[in-house]
Amino acid sequence: MLRHTLLFLGYELKNTLRNPIWPFFGLLQPVLYLLLFAPLVANTTVGGNLGDTLEMFTPGVMIMIALFGSLFVGFGMINEIRNGYLERLAVSPAWRPAIVLGRTMRDMIVLVVQAVLIVGLAALMGMRASVGGVALMLVLMAATGLLASGLSYGLALALRDENGMSQIMQFFALPLILLTGIMLPMSLAPQWMQTVAHFNPLYHAVEAGRSLFNGDFSNISIPLAFGLTLALGALTLTWSVNSMKKLAN
Amino acid sequence: MIIEAHGLRKTFTAKRGRGKTEQVEAVRGVDLEVETGQIFAVLGPNGAGKTTTIRMLATLIPPTSGTAKVAGHDITTNPDKVRENIGYVGQAGGVDENSPGRDGMILAARLGGMSRKQAETRTEELLTAFALTEFADRPIRTLSGGQKRRFSLAIGLVNRPPLFFLDEPTTGLDPQNRANLWDEVRALRKQGTSVLLTTHYLEEADALCDRLVIIDHGQVVAEGRPDDLKKEVAGDVITVRVGDDATGEARTLLSAEPYVKEVRPEDEKLRVYVDDGEHNLPHLLRAIEAGGLAIQSIALERATLDDVFLRHTGRSLRDAD
Repeated sequence: MLRHTLLFLGYELKNTLRNPIWPFFGLLQPVLYLLLFAPLVANTTVGGNLGDTLEMFTPGVMIMIALFGSLFVGFGMINEIRNGYLERLAVSPAWRPAIVLGRTMRDMIVLVVQAVLIVGLAALMGMRASVGGVALMLVLMAATGLLASGLSYGLALALRDENGMSQIMQFFALPLILLTGIMLPMSLAPQWMQTVAHFNPLYHAVEAGRSLFNGDFSNISIPLAFGLTLALGALTLTWSVNSMKKLAN
Repeated sequence: MIIEAHGLRKTFTAKRGRGKTEQVEAVRGVDLEVETGQIFAVLGPNGAGKTTTIRMLATLIPPTSGTAKVAGHDITTNPDKVRENIGYVGQAGGVDENSPGRDGMILAARLGGMSRKQAETRTEELLTAFALTEFADRPIRTLSGGQKRRFSLAIGLVNRPPLFFLDEPTTGLDPQNRANLWDEVRALRKQGTSVLLTTHYLEEADALCDRLVIIDHGQVVAEGRPDDLKKEVAGDVITVRVGDDATGEARTLLSAEPYVKEVRPEDEKLRVYVDDGEHNLPHLLRAIEAGGLAIQSIALERATLDDVFLRHTGRSLRDAD
């Protein structure tokens, strides 16, 4: 079972490496946020310097990569259902969950590589974050990616329709991102928005990331974010794996 | 027996909008027996239940009821064992469009349990056999329809399955590629591989298979060797045209002839089924002449599987789609 998962992982990674240009395009947006938005935020706060702003801003950008990088991975799968590729895998000796697990692992590896590049850039721009905190944040980000790609593969297998899927993605993605406080801290929001944000798992992930970067490991948001994200990730992954198991039914 | 199926049924629940559902009986009690080493065809019009049948046998979907043993294993209780012993190529081909064919073949071989080295050797072997070596490292999406189809066959054969399923293997292929594919399927039989294929082309079933079933509306309407099935109808068909007014009269007249097995009207012609057509044609001509009818056209041909289909379903396979 593990062997099959690793075989699929290797195959998918090779596919990604054959066209490394796409993950780089995916990085363009977060890079622009760091270069063109962070300095702007730094200037609006009294006495704020860029290094401190980046420490607050980079964890948010990481979660944004995790969400937007993974939420759309399912689109390719719809085509693979249509051209019979998944059908053939389903009647091959392949362990069916490995088809999803291999891909999800590929997605997480791509995310972590992207995030390391982003954190590197932020460091070059003057961010001085806690190294242990950054490492833990990479794990949290990978878990967020797991949640999003599990959701994406699950939706792809359930809907099998690109149009319907992109509508649902828009519906999910925008409020999730707006209610995380990536752009500006949620403390600037009115009370009702702050209350709503507490129901957004990504809000806690961003809060946890900020504490981690800060070296404040005792912050309650950290275990909360890990617990929530891992639990939801396990849920969406189970959903997509189960959908794969009964692919043609 | 490589396949033994009894009473296979599949009922789908189709959504009909506004919360209404409808039960669709795609397959209604199909029995199949395929001997090891045969090419076996499932022939029928579109929507007859061919694909659903092959999908159940290949363990892609479970039957609503009925049982089947494929390569010695039960499809319901032991699908994993079945999957180790079959190759399956669906209608759409089922190759990953974004990767080179070589990678897909190596992956399939390794999923089947081969080591990297074995997988590479086997891949080379198949690339040569299917004349695909020069396209092996190009993404599949850049290849032609025929080349793609060859890759899907090769990938399906990677693990040397004793049984190979082909769902409508030549749909969408040009005549040259279709002939090539027939040769490839015959080569499989030579190596001892059993093949079950579905098709709605009469010529394909006729040219390729050792035995076949004809299915219509989810049920088997005829089963046997192509030649035997055709002989059951008649050896030959004489197509006669006598002009619109006289068709009815000619039908009555010819039906009374002792050597005529059956007369069926088709458009403005009559299809007269006889054995030993060369010998009986002069008798038939005399009978028409004696009846005072004028022949506008006449042709003698061998009975086809379409005549078998016509006899069992009352309509032509060409019209049934």
